[in-house]
Amino acid sequence: MASRYRFIGKATPRKDAREIVTGTTKFLDDRKFPDILYGKVLRSPHPHALIKSVSKSEALKLPGVKAVLIWEDVPDWKGGTPRCFRLLDRKVRYVGDAVALVAADTEERAREALRYIRVEYEVLPAVFDMEEALRPGAPKLHEEFPENIITPGVPFFGPKNLKEVAIGDVEKGFAEADVITEGTFSYENMPNPIPPEPPGVVALWEAPDSVTLWVSNQASYMDSVILSHVTEKKVRVRTIGGPCGGSFGSKYMSWQVQCYAALLSKATGRPVKLVLTKEEHLAAFTLRPASRMSARVGIKKDGTVTAVQGTWLIDTGCYSMTTQSQVAVGCGEVQIMVNCPNWDLKPVIVCTNRNASGIVRGFGGQELKCCLIPLLSLAMEKAGVDPLEFMKKNFVKPGRGYFWRDGIWYVYRGVDYTKAMEKGAETFGWKEKWKGWLTPTAVDGHKRRGIGVGVHGNADIGEDSSEAYVRLHPDGTAMLFSCITEHGTGQVTNYIRMVAEVLQLPMERISITPSDSLINPYEFGPAGSRGTYAIGSAVIAAAEDARQKLLELLAPRLKARPEDLDTADGIVYRKDDPGIKVPWKAMAVDRTITGCGRFDPDYSLTNCMMTFIEVEVDTETGKVALTRVVNATDIGQIIDPPGLENQLNGCLGSAGIDSAIFEEMVLDRSIGRMLNANMIDYKWRTFPELPVIENVVLETPFPSHRFHAVGIGEIATSPGPSAVLMAVSNALGVWLHEYPVTPERVLKALGKAGAGKGGAA
Amino acid sequence: MRSFAHINARTIDEAIALLRRYRGRAVLNAGGTDLLSALKAECLPRYPEAVINLKTIPDLDYIREDDGSLRIGALARLSGIASSPLVGSNCRVLADAARSVAGPQIRNAATIGGNLCQDVRCWYYRYPHHIGGAIQCARKGSGPCLAVKGDNRYHAIMNGKRCFAVCPSDTAVALAALDARIHVAGPEGDRTIATIDFFSPLANALRPGEIVREIEVPKVRTSAVQTFLKFTVREPIDFAIVSVASVVTREEGVCTDARIALGAVAPGPVRAGKAEEVLKGERIDGEIAARAAEQALAGARPLSRNAYKIEIAKTLVKRGILQ
Repeated sequence: MASRYRFIGKATPRKDAREIVTGTTKFLDDRKFPDILYGKVLRSPHPHALIKSVSKSEALKLPGVKAVLIWEDVPDWKGGTPRCFRLLDRKVRYVGDAVALVAADTEERAREALRYIRVEYEVLPAVFDMEEALRPGAPKLHEEFPENIITPGVPFFGPKNLKEVAIGDVEKGFAEADVITEGTFSYENMPNPIPPEPPGVVALWEAPDSVTLWVSNQASYMDSVILSHVTEKKVRVRTIGGPCGGSFGSKYMSWQVQCYAALLSKATGRPVKLVLTKEEHLAAFTLRPASRMSARVGIKKDGTVTAVQGTWLIDTGCYSMTTQSQVAVGCGEVQIMVNCPNWDLKPVIVCTNRNASGIVRGFGGQELKCCLIPLLSLAMEKAGVDPLEFMKKNFVKPGRGYFWRDGIWYVYRGVDYTKAMEKGAETFGWKEKWKGWLTPTAVDGHKRRGIGVGVHGNADIGEDSSEAYVRLHPDGTAMLFSCITEHGTGQVTNYIRMVAEVLQLPMERISITPSDSLINPYEFGPAGSRGTYAIGSAVIAAAEDARQKLLELLAPRLKARPEDLDTADGIVYRKDDPGIKVPWKAMAVDRTITGCGRFDPDYSLTNCMMTFIEVEVDTETGKVALTRVVNATDIGQIIDPPGLENQLNGCLGSAGIDSAIFEEMVLDRSIGRMLNANMIDYKWRTFPELPVIENVVLETPFPSHRFHAVGIGEIATSPGPSAVLMAVSNALGVWLHEYPVTPERVLKALGKAGAGKGGAA
Repeated sequence: MRSFAHINARTIDEAIALLRRYRGRAVLNAGGTDLLSALKAECLPRYPEAVINLKTIPDLDYIREDDGSLRIGALARLSGIASSPLVGSNCRVLADAARSVAGPQIRNAATIGGNLCQDVRCWYYRYPHHIGGAIQCARKGSGPCLAVKGDNRYHAIMNGKRCFAVCPSDTAVALAALDARIHVAGPEGDRTIATIDFFSPLANALRPGEIVREIEVPKVRTSAVQTFLKFTVREPIDFAIVSVASVVTREEGVCTDARIALGAVAPGPVRAGKAEEVLKGERIDGEIAARAAEQALAGARPLSRNAYKIEIAKTLVKRGILQ
């Protein structure tokens, strides 16, 4: 069938393609600023300590050192939810916590100055495990949280914001169950998505109270909003976004880094650049929350879930900025995946003495499901239920609903994903390969193959607000005003594509403003998978508004009503007689037309991704090789074919499928140090090891925006990790419940690796 | 990185003189692929005052044949060794070991001398200074080996003593199986060290002022089957969890000579003498290979988290023999 669209769904070069490929894109680190200073952070050697005294005089004597700041020198700026985590504090709470900030005229001098700052600490006992942190008498990280439990809830999500899943009567549900299973399951390896470009910023303070930040984050407008809150609205913050060298959620915010630079600029009167090293990025920036769930589920023999009851512990590290949000979204997502009338799932967010958790794609739901699906699998095995059938049956269908993050019940009004799941299963060959639980698909000597499946859906595709303007010019060009940065997905080009489709204007004639918070309207940014529906709707609405105003303005000239006119290629013409036309120039050369668009949140739609995994396990070495991945989804309408393919192929890394195979941060729980904060010891898949990935994408029109599409990119990583555990368990005939499935764990499960001497790490 | 003097050496003698002059406060750069990351991490106990660049010494990158031996200059690059027809036809196991190191860019810069002398990868030893300070340990001369009570999944399962870091060199394993000898130049003159004696738990065998000059590899009988197997968490750009180099000669199915070396299990490559004895004079099959593998690991004493390495090592020994 010929496409209805001229631009939507067509593969075109990205607007920034030439610059990226030729290495001329100006990333943050490429930008030059006159008189710039370089900022560095002195970091704590102790996981928990009070700073008794700091001597900075020697450091200040070094040539080129312009400022040394400690907790006593800086305003009482606080982050966190609730906001009680001081930017620089008298107390340090993890190895790597900020103790002092230095600005100097070269990076080397700044680094050297750190060695001349003398700090005396009073070392405090530290705690690295959630359950230990919850015990009476455990070391206490914050005065505000005496039991190391962070206050639940997210005021921004509204008065009823979701803090748990409490529906129906679980006792009644368990009474109806054919099979009940229980246990403790965790996803605690805290993978870091490690965008290639580390967090960084350039800050320029202007007295008395304003600061401009050049940022390379995922959501540059929100950087200004967050900093405004951190500074108690006493500072006027302008952010100028540039190309973002990857984020995967983790660079949605980096308020600490931005505040460090802002304060150093305030102290010196000069622009200050502060970019984290790779080691800092891994050991002293945010990680995925660690998740541990003790729960009980009841199911019937037909795969109906009758009850879910349990406690979900979430280790947020030394504080929480967004963990409550992740918990709220995770609690919503779990209802999208599991259709159950009786829930009693209580999250508890715990703080421990390690670097904080923060946003990573998967946003709560991946963490929760990586614990829940292994538990459900035990029940499915007992009940003899095929996991594919279970997931098909349980995933949300039109007319069913869920409590979303705001605590409000939404009835799902999107498409039925059963067709996409079945098409994916057919492509993968599920029916032929599935031999039952704990049964390999094939055995060839010491090589055993197994399969697994996972599913994930997120109603964040319509979350939060977006605004945009589209300005039409008499020369037949248009400009999109939207505070979005290109973070690698190609979405900037896609918003131009949407404007092009509405205006029927070649994409080359449409430009976009710099993502400067001063000139653009509110934009929550491309978080989750909201880019296509939420941001896209605002952009489309702005373009439609501009088009309507154009037609209204030119209607008298063409002696027609606006609804009888259309526009294409910078010409307005009469639909009944296209020969009657005027160029946009007819609006007058001294005039522009601006349309405004806004998107208000809509949680009644969710996306869906099912991932099928095949692994081959070497029972003599414990090596797990990913041999095949099939992703299946339905997204209404493909906007950008190569962009979509790249997003779906991104299912492996950035703390996705590979978080079940080898990605993990290794924390020594006796000394509180991250041991593998480098790119050799943090295992990361390289190109020679890419498995076969096939993507099945259906296009059943959605009741979303003008082009009937929904976003998908974020959740590509989410169904995979638990599917890997399932596949390896099936290959070996033994349950594996720990992430990642290292050779050590596989050999142990096979009874081939006894314990040696030494400690308990 | 901190400031240091950078000195281009023109001759080995000049490099030795410089080492003497700096009295332990200089380090050698024979490729820099490992050295630079250690300098950037500032993890060394004492930051070097000088880096002596050996790459400016001419004619030290040769690979030549001489009286039944291969002679390889210390500055021969790993990529050159991996692709050398002379190495490939005489001691393939060395070529394969060189090819298994890191990725192409690193192999183009790294040298065999540097590969033998690189520092350990222990994550306590390598912990970066700028995240709360480097970690002190036995290898740095103060305190215990933290791996013993900590996360020792990649550490030694045999021969560890005070320090349990493993030898990270892949070429050392092949050279141990080939009975190669390392020729060293130093202030007291030249001497020769067997590969197997080059490594010990706290450091290598080089005395102050000494430099690796040449590696001499006795030629192997052409009928010998040479195998290098390296088990890593990910395929490219990774250090071995366990590696095994084996050189097995058979005549009419009967093993006449077997040389097996294990890597990444101890502070240096380990020759599996007992396993070699098991094989000699026997017809090689799965059963004898399994018995040899058991013998190869008979001396293993794992730490809390690394018993799994024994199983992997046995598997690699067995697979190497059966190639």
